[in-house]
Amino acid sequence: MASDRFPIPQGTLDMLVLQILSLEPAHGYGIAQRLQQVSRDAVRVNQGSLYPALHRLEQKGWLKAEWRQSETGREAKFYTLTRSGQKQLAVEKESWDRLTAAVQLVFNTGS
Amino acid sequence: LARILNLLPGRRRRLETDFERELKYHLDRRIADLQLSGLSESEARRQAIHEFGSVDAVQEEVRETWTWRWLDHLNRDVRYALRTLMRNPSFAVTAVLSLALGIGANAAMFSLIDQILLRSLPVSEPERLVHLDWKGYAVATSWGSGNLMSYPLCRELNEQEQFFNGVFCRHPTTVNFSTGQQHEPVRAELVSGSFFSVLGLSPALGRLIDPSDDVRPGGHPVVVLSYNYWQNNLGGAQEVVGRKVLINNHPMTVIGIAPASFTSVDPLEVPVLWIPAMMTREAIPELGARLLDRRTVWMHVFARLQPGMTAEQAKSRIQPWFRSMLDADMRLESFPSVTNEQRAVYLASTVELHRAARGLSLRAGFLERPIRLLAAGTLLLLMLACLNVAGLLVARGAARARELTTRVALGATRRRITEQLLAESTLIVLGGCLLGLLAAPAASRVLVSYLIPDGDLSFRFDARVFLFASVAGLVAVVLCGLVPALQFGHKSLIASINDRSHGTSRGAVRLRKAIVVAQMGFALVLLIAAGLFVQTLARLLAKDRGFDSQSLVAFAVNPPGIGYSDSASVQVMRDLHRALTELPVVERAALSNSSLLSGGSFRRTLTIQSAERMVTERTVPGLRVSPGFFATLGTRVITGREFNDSDVPRADERSFRSVIVNQSFAQRYFGSRNPVGQRIGVGGQPDTPTNIEIVGVVEDISFRLIREPEPEHVFFPFGQPGPLSADGSFVVRVRGKPESAFPLIRAAVAQINPALPVNNLSTIDERVDRSLGTERMLATLSSGFGAIALLLSVVGLYGIVSFTVLQRRQEIGVRAALGATRSDALWLVIRDGLLMVGAGIAVALPFAWALRRLVEASLFGVGAFDAPTIAFASGLLIIVSLVATMRPAWRAASVSPTEALRFD
Repeated sequence: MASDRFPIPQGTLDMLVLQILSLEPAHGYGIAQRLQQVSRDAVRVNQGSLYPALHRLEQKGWLKAEWRQSETGREAKFYTLTRSGQKQLAVEKESWDRLTAAVQLVFNTGS
Repeated sequence: LARILNLLPGRRRRLETDFERELKYHLDRRIADLQLSGLSESEARRQAIHEFGSVDAVQEEVRETWTWRWLDHLNRDVRYALRTLMRNPSFAVTAVLSLALGIGANAAMFSLIDQILLRSLPVSEPERLVHLDWKGYAVATSWGSGNLMSYPLCRELNEQEQFFNGVFCRHPTTVNFSTGQQHEPVRAELVSGSFFSVLGLSPALGRLIDPSDDVRPGGHPVVVLSYNYWQNNLGGAQEVVGRKVLINNHPMTVIGIAPASFTSVDPLEVPVLWIPAMMTREAIPELGARLLDRRTVWMHVFARLQPGMTAEQAKSRIQPWFRSMLDADMRLESFPSVTNEQRAVYLASTVELHRAARGLSLRAGFLERPIRLLAAGTLLLLMLACLNVAGLLVARGAARARELTTRVALGATRRRITEQLLAESTLIVLGGCLLGLLAAPAASRVLVSYLIPDGDLSFRFDARVFLFASVAGLVAVVLCGLVPALQFGHKSLIASINDRSHGTSRGAVRLRKAIVVAQMGFALVLLIAAGLFVQTLARLLAKDRGFDSQSLVAFAVNPPGIGYSDSASVQVMRDLHRALTELPVVERAALSNSSLLSGGSFRRTLTIQSAERMVTERTVPGLRVSPGFFATLGTRVITGREFNDSDVPRADERSFRSVIVNQSFAQRYFGSRNPVGQRIGVGGQPDTPTNIEIVGVVEDISFRLIREPEPEHVFFPFGQPGPLSADGSFVVRVRGKPESAFPLIRAAVAQINPALPVNNLSTIDERVDRSLGTERMLATLSSGFGAIALLLSVVGLYGIVSFTVLQRRQEIGVRAALGATRSDALWLVIRDGLLMVGAGIAVALPFAWALRRLVEASLFGVGAFDAPTIAFASGLLIIVSLVATMRPAWRAASVSPTEALRFD
C-alpha cells in the first residue's frame, strides 16, 4: 500500500506513546488521535498496533492503567506514565537525539 | 513475576475481558467520530475496522505481551498433559507408582549412604582431621576394637605442637546412668580434655570438657550431655547445668550440653554423654588402674593437621619422634620381657595417618558392603521402573500416533509435539518423585531396622537428598520421555494414514519388545541375587553353631557399675546364679564374663607346653565360664570334662588351674594328639609359666557372630576377681516359652539389689536373628526387589504379547483358513513370548557374571555364579512369563478363519 506517510520504525512507537502520555493520561483511542494530530498525519500507524505497544509498556511497568470516565461519559482504560516510565522516556529521547545528530553529521560531511 | 502470575486462570480471564472492553471502546469511538463526519453507520464500521488492522493479529500480539511465549506453551502443554493423563488414570497411576517406587527406594538409600559413608563430621574444617594408627606391634594389652593407643601416648602427642594443631582421643563404652531413681545403661564416651576444642565445637549450653578437666585421675567428676538426650529426656531445661547425676553410682555434675549438630565422631555409635578420661576408674572400673599405663591400649586417637599440611607430610615428620618414644618406652623398667623377634617388630612400628573427615566408624566399615549391594539393587529397580514407564509411554504413543499425525497435518510443528510429549513424561516423573520422597522415610525405616536396629539414623530430607532425587528424576525423564518422542519423530503423515494395523508402526513394536527384553534381563539379575542371598541365609540358619538356641535366654548384670567392689561383685553373681537355679521355670543357668552373640572377647597370647614349648602365632579369645556353662548351652564336650566346682579358683589364688579348649584349638596346636592333660600358660614371654591344665575339649561355638566362628577359643573358670572379669553374663535354659521367664528373671535380680540394672535381656534366638541381620536384610530385600522386578517385566510382556495378538488377528485368521490348527496359533504366540524371555536371559547372564565380584564376599556356602541358582531363577522367569502369555495365546487360538475377512 503506497502512501506518502512513512511507517515508523519498531521501538519508535513506544517512545512516541511515552511522549504523548508524559503530557497527560489518555486512553488508547485518545493516544491514536493525538498521534495523528501532533505528527500532522505524517506518521502512519495501524491503529491496532498501538495496543500491543501499550500492553508491552504496561507489563514493563512504564505505564499504569485504570478504568476511568472518559469525556463521552463511558468508562475507558486510561494510561498514565509512571516514574520509571518518565525515566525511560528521558533515556530514549537522549539516545534518539544522539542518533539523529550522528546521522545528520554523516549526511552533512558526506555530501 | 507479573508474567508468571498472568498464567493464573482468574487473572487471565480479567485480562481478556479488559482488553475486549478496551477494543470495543476504541472501535465504538472511531465509528461514532466517522459518523459525525458524515459516513453511514455501516460505512463507518467498515472504515474503522480497516484503519485498525487485523483484530485477531492484534489480539494475539497483545496476549503475547502478557506472558512469555514459551511459558504460555509450557502452561498449555502441562494442562494438556494433565487432561490426557486424567483421561487414562490407570496408565497414569501405574506409571507414577512404579517411578515412586524406584525414586523412593533410591532416595532412602541415598540418605543412608550419605549419613553413613559420605557426610563429613559437623565440626570445623573436618578435612584436617586424621586418625592415628599404630602399625606394628605395641607390646600391649588391648581393650576395645579398632586402632588403639594408650592414654599417656595421646597426651604426649597433644603436647607435640610441631606436628599437629592438637590431638584428642576417645573411648566408647556403656555406663549406668541415673538422674534420680532408676539406673539405665547408656552409651558414653571417655574423652581427653582436648576433645571438644580440637574438634572446634562450642557448647549449646554451659561449657564443654576442656584441658582443665584433664589433670588428676578421679579429680574431675563432670559430664557433658548430648543435645538430643537433653531435649528428648530432660525436656531441654536450662537448669540442667550444675545438676548432679550418677555415673555407675558416682555423683558427677552436668557442666554443659554439646552442640545440636554434633552427635559423635562415629555416626553409628552415638553417646548420650561425655566423661573426662581422668574419670576412667569411675566409668570403667576394670580399666581404672590402667589409665596411665603405657602398655594398655584402648583409645582411638585423632589429630588436626596444621593448616596447609598434608597427612603424608605430617606422617613423615612424626616418625623420628615416634621412634625415640618407642626406644624410651623399651628402657622403662615396667616394659615386659619380650623375645628378640618381638622386640624387632616393636621397634619397627610406625604411625599411619588415616583421613578422618567423616569420623571413624568400625560398623560403617562392616556395613559398607551390604550397603553397596543394596544401592546397586535399588538402582536396578529404578532403571526397571523407568523402562516400565517407557514401555507404557511407547504403547500409548503408538495408540495415539494417529492423533499426533493428524495434529502435525493441522500445522503443529514436530518440536511442539515433542515438547508436549516431554511435558507429559515430566509430569509423570514429577508425580513419581513427589510420591517417592513422601514414601522415602518409610522405606528408610525399613532399611535402618535391618541394617542398624539400635542405631540413631533416620531419613533426613535435606538439600543433598533433594538434589539426588532431582538428578534421578531427570535421568528418568530422559529415559522414559525421550524414547517415545524419538519414536514419533520420524513418522510421516502418509505412513500413518496408510498404516492399517491400528495406527502402529513396526518400529514401535520392536522398541517395546526391546524394552521388555531389557526388563527381563534386569529382573533376572535381581532374581539371581535374591536366590543367592536367600540360600546364604538358609545355610547360615542351618549351620551348626555349637549351641542349642531354643528356650535359651541371656542377660547381663554389672555390679561394679553401681559401686560394688570386685569381690563383692563375684558374690552378687554367685547369689544371683543360685537364685536363678532355684526358680522352677529355670532348667539350668550358667555365667560367663562376656555375652553370647553380643559381647566382645578378650584376646591373649598363650604359651603351649606339650612335646615342645610354643607360642600361639595369633592372640586367642579367652572366655571365663562357670561350671555347667556348656551343659546349659547344649554344647558337646568331645573329650575330657566340663568345669566343676573344684576348678573355680579360690579368692587368694592369682592364676587358673584348669582350662577348656575348643576343637579348632585342639586341632591347630595338638593335631591328632589328645590335648587333655597338657598344659598352657597365659602370655607369650620366654618366662611365662605353663601351669594351667587342659581338662576338656568342646565343639566350636559361634560365640561372637553366627557367620564366622572364632577359629580357636579357650575357656577359663569363672569366679576369680582380676583384670579379666568384666560383667556377669548369664545364660539360662528355661522351661516353656522363653519370654515368659523375663519377669521372673527381673524379679530375681531385683531381690538381690533393686538398683542393679538388667542389661540386654533377650532370647538367644533373638540374638541369632540380630547377628544375621545383614544377611536377613539382603535376603528379604533382594527377594522383594526380585518379586517387584518380576511383576514389572511380566506386566510389560503381557502388554506387548496381547498387543501383537490383536495386531496379527487377521494374519492368524488367514493361517487358520489355510489349515493351521489351534495349537499352531497357540505356539505362534508362546514362541514370541519365549523368544523375548530367552533374549532377556541371554542379556542378563553376562551381567550376572560381571557383577559376581560385588556379591561374592557377602555369600555363605554358595558361589556367586551358582548354576543351580541361575537355572532356578531363569526357570521361574520362564514359568511366570508362560503364565502371562497364556491368555493372549488362548485368544489367538480362538481366532476364527472369518477374521481373515475383517477389516477395521
